Amino acid sequence: MVDVLRTSVSGLLAFQKALGVTSNNVANVSTPGYSVESAQFAPQPGESTSIGNFGIGVLVTGVTRSYSELLAGQMRSSQSSYSSFNAYATTAASVDNMLSDPSTGLTAQLQSFSNSLQTLANSPTLAASGTAVLSSAQTLATSIQGYASQLNSAEQNVEGQISSNVQEINTLAGNIANVNTQISEQTNLGQPPNSLLDQRDQLINQLSQYVSVNTATQSDGSLDVFIGNGQSLVSGGTAQTLSAIPDQYNPTQFDVSLATAGTAAATVNITGAITGGSLGGLLAVRSQVIDPTLNSLGQISVGVASIMNQQQAAGLTQTGAQGQPLFAVGAVQVSPSANNTGAAQVTAMRTSLSALTTDDYTLTSNAGNWQLYDQTTHQSIVMGGDGSAGNPFTAAGLSIVVSGTANDGDSYLVQPTATAAAGFNVLLTSPTQIASGAAVQAAAAPGNTGSGTIAAATVTDPTDPNLLTATSIVFSSATQYQIDGTGPTLTYTPGAAITADGWTTSISGTPAAGDSFTVSSNAGNIGDNTNLFAMIDGLSANALNGGTVSLTGASNSLVSQVGAQTQQAQANSQAQQAVNTSATDAVNNLSGVNLDEEAANMLKFQQAYQACAQMIQVSSQMFTTLITAIANG
Amino acid sequence: MRISTIGFQTDAAQQMQSLESDINTTQQQLSTGNKLQSAADDPAGMAQVNQLDAQISASQQYQSNGSVLNANLQIEEQSLTDATNVMQSARDLAVQANNPALTSSQRQDISTQLQQLLQQLVSSANSTDSNGNYVFAGQTSGTQPFAQSGGSVAYNGSASVNQVQISSNQRISSGDTGGSVFMNIPAGNGTFTTAVGASNSGSATIDTGTVVNSTQWVPDTYTITFSDPTDYTVTNSAGTTVSSGTFTSPGTIAFNGISTTVTGTPATGDTFTVAAAGTASAFSTLSNLITTLNDPTLSSAQIATQVGNTLQQIDGAISNFGEVQASVGARINAITAANTSAQSAQTNMTASVSAIQNVDYAAATTRLSTEELALQAAQESYASIAKLSLFNYIQ
Repeated sequence: MVDVLRTSVSGLLAFQKALGVTSNNVANVSTPGYSVESAQFAPQPGESTSIGNFGIGVLVTGVTRSYSELLAGQMRSSQSSYSSFNAYATTAASVDNMLSDPSTGLTAQLQSFSNSLQTLANSPTLAASGTAVLSSAQTLATSIQGYASQLNSAEQNVEGQISSNVQEINTLAGNIANVNTQISEQTNLGQPPNSLLDQRDQLINQLSQYVSVNTATQSDGSLDVFIGNGQSLVSGGTAQTLSAIPDQYNPTQFDVSLATAGTAAATVNITGAITGGSLGGLLAVRSQVIDPTLNSLGQISVGVASIMNQQQAAGLTQTGAQGQPLFAVGAVQVSPSANNTGAAQVTAMRTSLSALTTDDYTLTSNAGNWQLYDQTTHQSIVMGGDGSAGNPFTAAGLSIVVSGTANDGDSYLVQPTATAAAGFNVLLTSPTQIASGAAVQAAAAPGNTGSGTIAAATVTDPTDPNLLTATSIVFSSATQYQIDGTGPTLTYTPGAAITADGWTTSISGTPAAGDSFTVSSNAGNIGDNTNLFAMIDGLSANALNGGTVSLTGASNSLVSQVGAQTQQAQANSQAQQAVNTSATDAVNNLSGVNLDEEAANMLKFQQAYQACAQMIQVSSQMFTTLITAIANG
Repeated sequence: MRISTIGFQTDAAQQMQSLESDINTTQQQLSTGNKLQSAADDPAGMAQVNQLDAQISASQQYQSNGSVLNANLQIEEQSLTDATNVMQSARDLAVQANNPALTSSQRQDISTQLQQLLQQLVSSANSTDSNGNYVFAGQTSGTQPFAQSGGSVAYNGSASVNQVQISSNQRISSGDTGGSVFMNIPAGNGTFTTAVGASNSGSATIDTGTVVNSTQWVPDTYTITFSDPTDYTVTNSAGTTVSSGTFTSPGTIAFNGISTTVTGTPATGDTFTVAAAGTASAFSTLSNLITTLNDPTLSSAQIATQVGNTLQQIDGAISNFGEVQASVGARINAITAANTSAQSAQTNMTASVSAIQNVDYAAATTRLSTEELALQAAQESYASIAKLSLFNYIQ
């Protein structure tokens, strides 16, 4: 009887606990990260007698949670990838939308500027057409500047997010360290602290949204968290601090550094090692989309400005003067490293449009030699010259002058086009400043008796001081000529180039002795449109990337490049979202609460509890029967 | 398989969200008519659209260049027609004046009419286009090209003309310089001019002559001197005799590959000159004729020779105008051809743009209804399944 009572009571207590676990499961049906728990039953060790071993009831040995380390890891890594692509795609899409509009896009603006030059060419002295050229130039400049400023604010936005992501990571890492401490304390007491484990898993899931993590469980139940190339973020109860620090070259850009365990105040820059999570996505979109787009936009701006300015100088305005530059453009950006210890000064300027690239370079002093390294292609670049003012370094369409003394390891970031677009401006204010006419004209003297004809003279060096001075080419015989009557006697070859005073021309046919030709200022010809066509031809020529790409080609490939990056990031983001959904489903299917299951468990435990209670009643009746028998006996 | 309640709920919500996002995209495409919302939708396609749009815009610009030029060339053509008519009238008057029976006052009447024609010619040569630019001024189109001072007209325009782009690979001259149209017309018969000596007393006239063999012609000024009415010698500018012979009216005098005919009776000592032709302007042709007709001292032989030369020069001018007109016509034809091909190129390019960029309404509408159906099904099934729970049956 007492056995029955004792056994039944153990059942009552066990099913009470089990119902408690079930009600806890039902209560946590919507708690994110909650793993369904179940009470573990075991028979109490029975009592051995001479006639056999009698069981004496049930024992709850523990409460276990339904959890798979493998599934949780899959969910985290897919979460990191998804967050990374999502952050990338969001920023890239904003750049993509900015560049995409076909009616206001860069290609359309370039074409409409070229069209305005065509209209002016129809009537070069018409002030209204000249004003239209300037206003079209202004529209182009406003739009390029607008792009640059939108890209810069996208960049600032990214920097802000990097900084807040770093704070979030620090908060989460601190929380994980705290939970780790509690878990190891409780684990030492014997039973796994399920709710703390769930809480920690949830914290790590959140952390993996910001950065890709690796974990390792320790014997005391605590979990170590690593980021980057295995740098420790959380070790047991200690979290290392992640910081957003200014880039050594560009203080407005953040790098990410991590405090080193053990060494006080030592940090390591792990920017390049960060992958995954929104932080990884932000760092990638900055270096793969925003910066290259700014550089490409800069290259196009430099192209427009240098083609137009060069041609302005090679032509005459309506007042008969050589044209002034039409566009200003931002200079080459040279930024010294914050770690430099020497006193060298580096200046750089653009010398060749076709050799100019959209890459960024570092110039580093190494044992007394300067080395140029392309940061985009990761290659060393051989430079010509010695870096002095008289013989500057030449490479990648730049000339670089170094003065002062650098210490070993000092470095400078050279960005040929990064800030060009932001400084793209119209300099001219009056339509009369547009150099529509050719600078020089070539003509045969009226009394020539030979059949020699002279081709139009083109300007090769607009800076030649004698460019506009009249020059005569006089033939002393049918085969020999002299320039300006003073120079050496030259042999005439029909069609060969004749160059002097910054221009070049050619004579063909058969000149007679005494025939002369003159090349002189075209100032009288104020309605000439020759130079406008030189501008139009220059704008449509393949002027960029070694003469392989035109301005509109570069502008189109900029649009399609950013579009393709955005498309890829969006596709990856969608794919990773699907992977993440299925990984989350797998975790939920294992660890989530199913209400029907709980309802069934509830009925099961309830019935078992009721049965045990009946057994107590039976035991009570047995007891009563016995007492009554004794009393009546 | 075990499904967790929270997983079922989240999945259902996510699926409905994704369907709603699809519907939103399709709806946006339908309302804008644009398949490409940004380059990310089709990077290569967007680049192509940009390029085609730029080409269409350039092509439209060429068309507009062509139509401006076309209007200017029409004006030039009209001016040339006017100038030709003036020269035709002048020719009629010159023929009329070449009549020995006319009195000097009658010739002066004719010269007054010629004066009128000269004014008309100058005004045609100074005609302007719709922008007020001078048609025949070349590049200095803002300056009046022809200035008349007394009887002479000078060309102040430039020696070259601007080009206008009428297609991506065609640039044509926007006009013709006044110099080439009005000023450089070959004098005489194009090779040489003839003249009657100023102090001739005989009645002989000399015709404008012809070139027999152009390779033998040596440009120079030759004098034909009659030592008596039947003998002549031809000397060049150095005084060397190049030919001599006897003369019977009408007699051909030929030397150095040219031939000219003297008619009438020359007096002893009469001279005629044969000079290498330079160029003469249409204006000087008329003003020289006017001077000749106004001069009462000239003999009818001298007048006849002058008029003969003038008629040749007028014919030269008319033929020059005709050539320029033909070139203007060719340019107008080129513009028309460029315009037609631009039109069809634009149609093709617009079709390409729309093929890449425009939404296929039939396909998009079908897709929208499929997506709507899917969302509706998801919502209905969720609403009915979510209600199911074992707890509902435990009393």
